[in-house]
Amino acid sequence: MYTQALVTSELVSTVLALVLAYLFLRAYRLTRSSYLLGLPTGFLLLGSSYVFLGASLVFESNVALSEQFLWLRLITQSYGFAFIAFTYYFSSKTERATKHFLSVISFASAITILLFFVALIVAPPFPELPSINVVDECFRIGNLVFLGYVIYHVVKRLESSHEPISGLWAPTAFSLLWLGQYSSLIWEIDASETAFVFAHAARLASLALFIRIYYSSGRVRR
Amino acid sequence: MKVEKRSKLQIYFDILQLLCEKTEEGDRPCPTRIAHKANLPYDRFRSCLDQLVQLGMVSRGEGKLVVTRKGLEYVEWHRRMNSFLKHMGLLS
Repeated sequence: MYTQALVTSELVSTVLALVLAYLFLRAYRLTRSSYLLGLPTGFLLLGSSYVFLGASLVFESNVALSEQFLWLRLITQSYGFAFIAFTYYFSSKTERATKHFLSVISFASAITILLFFVALIVAPPFPELPSINVVDECFRIGNLVFLGYVIYHVVKRLESSHEPISGLWAPTAFSLLWLGQYSSLIWEIDASETAFVFAHAARLASLALFIRIYYSSGRVRR
Repeated sequence: MKVEKRSKLQIYFDILQLLCEKTEEGDRPCPTRIAHKANLPYDRFRSCLDQLVQLGMVSRGEGKLVVTRKGLEYVEWHRRMNSFLKHMGLLS
Protein backbone atom coordinates (compact mmCIF):
# COMPACT_ATOMS: atom_id res chain seq x y z
CA MET A 1 0.00 0.00 0.00
CA TYR A 2 2.82 2.38 1.04
CA THR A 3 4.85 1.51 -2.07
CA GLN A 4 1.77 1.84 -4.25
CA ALA A 5 1.15 5.39 -2.97
CA LEU A 6 4.77 6.32 -3.64
CA VAL A 7 4.75 4.84 -7.14
CA THR A 8 1.52 6.75 -7.88
CA SER A 9 3.15 9.95 -6.65
CA GLU A 10 6.14 9.34 -8.96
CA LEU A 11 3.80 8.58 -11.85
CA VAL A 12 1.82 11.80 -11.35
CA SER A 13 5.07 13.79 -11.02
CA THR A 14 6.35 12.24 -14.26
CA VAL A 15 3.19 13.18 -16.15
CA LEU A 16 3.28 16.75 -14.80
CA ALA A 17 6.98 17.13 -15.63
CA LEU A 18 6.40 15.85 -19.18
CA VAL A 19 3.48 18.26 -19.66
CA LEU A 20 5.75 21.09 -18.50
CA ALA A 21 8.52 19.97 -20.87
CA TYR A 22 6.00 20.13 -23.73
CA LEU A 23 4.73 23.59 -22.69
CA PHE A 24 8.27 24.96 -22.48
CA LEU A 25 9.06 23.46 -25.86
CA ARG A 26 6.11 25.43 -27.26
CA ALA A 27 7.52 28.56 -25.62
CA TYR A 28 10.87 27.83 -27.28
CA ARG A 29 9.14 27.61 -30.66
CA LEU A 30 7.95 31.17 -30.18
CA THR A 31 11.28 32.86 -29.53
CA ARG A 32 13.71 30.28 -30.99
CA SER A 33 16.18 31.43 -28.35
CA SER A 34 18.52 28.49 -27.82
CA TYR A 35 18.80 29.08 -24.07
CA LEU A 36 15.07 28.33 -23.70
CA LEU A 37 15.76 24.73 -24.73
CA GLY A 38 17.21 24.28 -21.24
CA LEU A 39 13.74 24.28 -19.69
CA PRO A 40 12.14 21.44 -21.70
CA THR A 41 15.41 19.50 -21.32
CA GLY A 42 15.44 20.19 -17.58
CA PHE A 43 11.85 19.11 -17.02
CA LEU A 44 12.32 16.08 -19.27
CA LEU A 45 15.29 15.03 -17.12
CA LEU A 46 13.25 15.67 -13.96
CA GLY A 47 10.45 13.53 -15.42
CA SER A 48 12.88 10.71 -16.14
CA SER A 49 14.30 10.99 -12.61
CA TYR A 50 10.80 10.37 -11.23
CA VAL A 51 10.49 7.33 -13.52
CA PHE A 52 13.79 5.96 -12.18
CA LEU A 53 12.69 6.57 -8.59
CA GLY A 54 9.41 4.77 -9.28
CA ALA A 55 11.32 1.90 -10.91
CA SER A 56 13.60 1.64 -7.87
CA LEU A 57 10.47 1.24 -5.72
CA VAL A 58 8.91 -1.33 -8.03
CA PHE A 59 12.13 -3.43 -8.06
CA GLU A 60 12.75 -2.92 -4.34
CA SER A 61 13.28 -6.66 -3.79
CA ASN A 62 16.24 -6.67 -6.19
CA VAL A 63 18.65 -4.49 -4.18
CA ALA A 64 21.33 -4.19 -6.88
CA LEU A 65 18.85 -3.17 -9.60
CA SER A 66 17.01 -0.81 -7.27
CA GLU A 67 20.29 0.92 -6.39
CA GLN A 68 21.16 1.29 -10.07
CA PHE A 69 17.85 3.05 -10.66
CA LEU A 70 18.56 5.32 -7.68
CA TRP A 71 21.91 6.27 -9.21
CA LEU A 72 20.20 7.12 -12.48
CA ARG A 73 17.61 9.20 -10.62
CA LEU A 74 20.38 11.08 -8.82
CA ILE A 75 22.20 12.00 -12.01
CA THR A 76 19.13 12.90 -14.10
CA GLN A 77 17.54 14.97 -11.32
CA SER A 78 20.65 17.05 -10.70
CA TYR A 79 21.17 17.55 -14.43
CA GLY A 80 17.52 18.62 -14.69
CA PHE A 81 17.93 21.28 -12.01
CA ALA A 82 21.26 22.35 -13.52
CA PHE A 83 19.60 22.85 -16.92
CA ILE A 84 16.82 24.96 -15.38
CA ALA A 85 19.38 27.08 -13.50
CA PHE A 86 21.51 27.53 -16.64
CA THR A 87 18.43 28.64 -18.58
CA TYR A 88 17.83 31.42 -16.07
CA TYR A 89 21.51 32.34 -16.07
CA PHE A 90 21.56 32.63 -19.87
CA SER A 91 18.22 34.44 -20.06
CA SER A 92 19.99 37.67 -19.07
CA LYS A 93 22.80 37.19 -21.61
CA THR A 94 22.75 38.03 -25.30
CA GLU A 95 21.66 35.41 -27.79
CA ARG A 96 25.11 35.25 -29.38
CA ALA A 97 26.78 34.54 -26.03
CA THR A 98 24.44 31.67 -25.24
CA LYS A 99 24.32 29.90 -28.59
CA HIS A 100 27.55 27.89 -28.58
CA PHE A 101 27.96 27.63 -24.84
CA LEU A 102 24.59 25.95 -24.40
CA SER A 103 25.26 23.52 -27.26
CA VAL A 104 28.53 22.48 -25.61
CA ILE A 105 26.83 22.01 -22.21
CA SER A 106 23.97 20.02 -23.76
CA PHE A 107 26.35 17.79 -25.71
CA ALA A 108 28.56 17.17 -22.67
CA SER A 109 25.53 16.41 -20.47
CA ALA A 110 24.01 14.04 -23.01
CA ILE A 111 27.30 12.13 -23.27
CA THR A 112 27.69 11.95 -19.47
CA ILE A 113 24.14 10.69 -18.90
CA LEU A 114 24.44 8.20 -21.75
CA LEU A 115 27.76 6.86 -20.47
CA PHE A 116 26.39 6.58 -16.95
CA PHE A 117 23.28 4.82 -18.23
CA VAL A 118 25.33 2.34 -20.27
CA ALA A 119 27.75 1.80 -17.38
CA LEU A 120 24.99 1.04 -14.90
CA ILE A 121 22.64 -1.00 -17.05
CA VAL A 122 24.99 -2.88 -19.36
CA ALA A 123 28.09 -3.30 -17.17
CA PRO A 124 27.99 -5.30 -13.93
CA PRO A 125 27.58 -3.34 -10.64
CA PHE A 126 30.65 -1.44 -9.45
CA PRO A 127 31.59 -2.41 -5.89
CA GLU A 128 33.80 0.69 -5.52
CA LEU A 129 30.86 3.13 -5.88
CA PRO A 130 30.25 5.14 -2.68
CA SER A 131 27.06 4.66 -0.68
CA ILE A 132 24.03 6.06 -2.52
CA ASN A 133 22.79 7.76 0.68
CA VAL A 134 26.00 9.77 1.17
CA VAL A 135 26.12 10.84 -2.47
CA ASP A 136 22.40 11.60 -2.43
CA GLU A 137 22.90 14.19 0.32
CA CYS A 138 25.69 15.90 -1.64
CA PHE A 139 23.58 15.97 -4.81
CA ARG A 140 20.60 17.37 -2.91
CA ILE A 141 22.73 20.20 -1.55
CA GLY A 142 23.76 20.92 -5.14
CA ASN A 143 20.08 20.88 -6.19
CA LEU A 144 19.26 23.37 -3.42
CA VAL A 145 22.00 25.69 -4.71
CA PHE A 146 20.66 25.48 -8.29
CA LEU A 147 17.08 26.13 -7.17
CA GLY A 148 18.18 28.94 -4.84
CA TYR A 149 19.83 30.67 -7.78
CA VAL A 150 16.65 30.26 -9.88
CA ILE A 151 14.44 31.76 -7.12
CA TYR A 152 16.83 34.72 -6.75
CA HIS A 153 16.86 35.27 -10.51
CA VAL A 154 13.06 35.04 -10.92
CA VAL A 155 12.39 37.48 -8.06
CA LYS A 156 14.98 39.92 -9.45
CA ARG A 157 13.51 39.67 -12.97
CA LEU A 158 9.92 40.11 -11.79
CA GLU A 159 10.96 43.15 -9.75
CA SER A 160 12.53 44.82 -12.76
CA SER A 161 9.70 43.83 -15.14
CA HIS A 162 8.39 46.64 -17.36
CA GLU A 163 4.82 45.44 -16.90
CA PRO A 164 3.26 44.62 -13.52
CA ILE A 165 3.05 40.83 -13.12
CA SER A 166 0.11 39.68 -11.06
CA GLY A 167 1.07 37.18 -8.37
CA LEU A 168 4.39 35.65 -7.51
CA TRP A 169 3.47 32.20 -8.75
CA ALA A 170 6.80 31.32 -10.36
CA PRO A 171 8.92 32.11 -7.25
CA THR A 172 6.33 30.23 -5.14
CA ALA A 173 6.51 27.19 -7.42
CA PHE A 174 10.32 27.17 -7.40
CA SER A 175 10.29 27.69 -3.61
CA LEU A 176 8.07 24.63 -3.23
CA LEU A 177 10.47 22.66 -5.40
CA TRP A 178 13.30 23.91 -3.15
CA LEU A 179 11.35 22.93 -0.01
CA GLY A 180 10.74 19.49 -1.53
CA GLN A 181 14.48 18.98 -1.97
CA TYR A 182 15.19 20.36 1.50
CA SER A 183 12.61 18.04 3.10
CA SER A 184 14.15 15.08 1.24
CA LEU A 185 17.53 16.07 2.67
CA ILE A 186 16.05 16.21 6.18
CA TRP A 187 14.47 12.80 5.59
CA GLU A 188 17.86 11.41 4.46
CA ILE A 189 19.43 12.66 7.70
CA ASP A 190 16.81 11.84 10.36
CA ALA A 191 14.33 9.56 8.53
CA SER A 192 11.45 11.83 9.54
CA GLU A 193 8.16 10.61 8.12
CA THR A 194 6.71 14.13 8.05
CA ALA A 195 9.64 15.42 5.99
CA PHE A 196 9.21 12.53 3.56
CA VAL A 197 5.50 13.17 3.04
CA PHE A 198 6.06 16.93 2.78
CA ALA A 199 8.81 16.42 0.17
CA HIS A 200 6.38 14.55 -2.09
CA ALA A 201 3.51 16.98 -1.48
CA ALA A 202 5.71 20.04 -2.13
CA ARG A 203 7.05 18.57 -5.37
CA LEU A 204 3.57 17.71 -6.68
CA ALA A 205 2.24 21.15 -5.67
CA SER A 206 5.12 22.95 -7.39
CA LEU A 207 4.72 21.04 -10.66
CA ALA A 208 0.95 21.65 -10.63
CA LEU A 209 1.58 25.34 -9.93
CA PHE A 210 3.84 25.65 -13.00
CA ILE A 211 1.01 24.30 -15.15
CA ARG A 212 -1.39 26.72 -13.49
CA ILE A 213 0.96 29.60 -14.43
CA TYR A 214 0.73 28.55 -18.07
CA TYR A 215 -3.08 28.42 -18.08
CA SER A 216 -3.51 31.62 -16.05
CA SER A 217 -1.17 33.52 -18.41
CA GLY A 218 -3.62 32.71 -21.20
CA ARG A 219 -5.98 35.24 -19.66
CA VAL A 220 -3.98 38.26 -20.82
CA ARG A 221 -5.24 41.80 -20.77
CA ARG A 222 -5.65 43.48 -24.15
CA MET B 1 22.15 51.12 -25.84
CA LYS B 2 22.35 47.80 -27.65
CA VAL B 3 19.07 46.85 -29.34
CA GLU B 4 18.23 43.11 -29.44
CA LYS B 5 17.70 41.77 -32.95
CA ARG B 6 14.09 40.71 -33.45
CA SER B 7 13.37 37.20 -34.64
CA LYS B 8 11.33 36.65 -37.80
CA LEU B 9 8.41 35.39 -35.69
CA GLN B 10 8.57 38.51 -33.52
CA ILE B 11 8.44 40.71 -36.67
CA TYR B 12 5.41 38.76 -37.97
CA PHE B 13 3.74 39.21 -34.59
CA ASP B 14 4.47 42.97 -34.57
CA ILE B 15 2.96 43.38 -38.04
CA LEU B 16 -0.12 41.30 -37.21
CA GLN B 17 -0.64 43.14 -33.93
CA LEU B 18 -0.43 46.54 -35.67
CA LEU B 19 -2.90 45.36 -38.33
CA CYS B 20 -5.27 44.14 -35.58
CA GLU B 21 -4.99 47.46 -33.71
CA LYS B 22 -5.78 49.46 -36.85
CA THR B 23 -8.75 47.24 -37.65
CA GLU B 24 -10.06 47.53 -34.06
CA GLU B 25 -9.76 51.31 -34.29
CA GLY B 26 -11.85 51.16 -37.47
CA ASP B 27 -9.01 52.51 -39.61
CA ARG B 28 -7.97 51.18 -42.96
CA PRO B 29 -4.45 49.84 -42.38
CA CYS B 30 -2.00 51.85 -44.49
CA PRO B 31 1.06 49.69 -45.46
CA THR B 32 3.53 52.60 -45.26
CA ARG B 33 2.40 53.57 -41.79
CA ILE B 34 2.39 49.94 -40.59
CA ALA B 35 5.94 49.48 -41.94
CA HIS B 36 7.04 52.63 -40.12
CA LYS B 37 5.37 51.59 -36.86
CA ALA B 38 6.82 48.07 -37.13
CA ASN B 39 10.24 49.70 -37.50
CA LEU B 40 10.91 48.03 -40.84
CA PRO B 41 12.19 49.32 -44.20
CA TYR B 42 9.33 49.22 -46.71
CA ASP B 43 10.85 46.49 -48.93
CA ARG B 44 11.41 44.25 -45.90
CA PHE B 45 7.86 44.93 -44.77
CA ARG B 46 6.51 43.95 -48.21
CA SER B 47 8.37 40.63 -48.16
CA CYS B 48 7.10 39.90 -44.62
CA LEU B 49 3.58 40.78 -45.70
CA ASP B 50 3.86 38.46 -48.73
CA GLN B 51 4.97 35.70 -46.35
CA LEU B 52 2.01 36.36 -44.04
CA VAL B 53 -0.37 36.25 -47.03
CA GLN B 54 1.22 32.98 -48.19
CA LEU B 55 0.83 31.55 -44.67
CA GLY B 56 -2.84 32.52 -44.75
CA MET B 57 -2.56 34.92 -41.81
CA VAL B 58 -3.37 38.07 -43.80
CA SER B 59 -5.68 38.48 -46.78
CA ARG B 60 -5.74 41.24 -49.34
CA GLY B 61 -9.41 41.79 -50.02
CA GLU B 62 -10.42 44.77 -52.20
CA GLY B 63 -7.01 46.35 -51.67
CA LYS B 64 -7.52 46.11 -47.92
CA LEU B 65 -5.30 44.21 -45.51
CA VAL B 66 -7.30 41.94 -43.21
CA VAL B 67 -5.97 39.62 -40.48
CA THR B 68 -7.52 36.18 -40.97
CA ARG B 69 -8.72 33.80 -38.26
CA LYS B 70 -5.38 31.94 -38.51
CA GLY B 71 -3.56 35.25 -38.02
CA LEU B 72 -5.68 36.09 -34.98
CA GLU B 73 -4.97 32.66 -33.50
CA TYR B 74 -1.25 33.24 -34.01
CA VAL B 75 -1.44 36.64 -32.27
CA GLU B 76 -3.34 35.06 -29.37
CA TRP B 77 -0.81 32.21 -29.08
CA HIS B 78 2.12 34.66 -29.21
CA ARG B 79 0.56 36.83 -26.48
CA ARG B 80 -0.07 33.81 -24.30
CA MET B 81 3.48 32.47 -24.64
CA ASN B 82 4.97 35.91 -24.04
CA SER B 83 2.88 36.31 -20.90
CA PHE B 84 3.87 32.80 -19.75
CA LEU B 85 7.58 33.55 -20.19
CA LYS B 86 7.16 36.88 -18.37
CA HIS B 87 5.38 35.17 -15.48
CA MET B 88 8.19 32.61 -15.36
CA GLY B 89 10.70 35.46 -15.04
CA LEU B 90 12.36 34.66 -18.37
CA LEU B 91 11.45 37.88 -20.19
CA SER B 92 11.33 41.42 -18.84
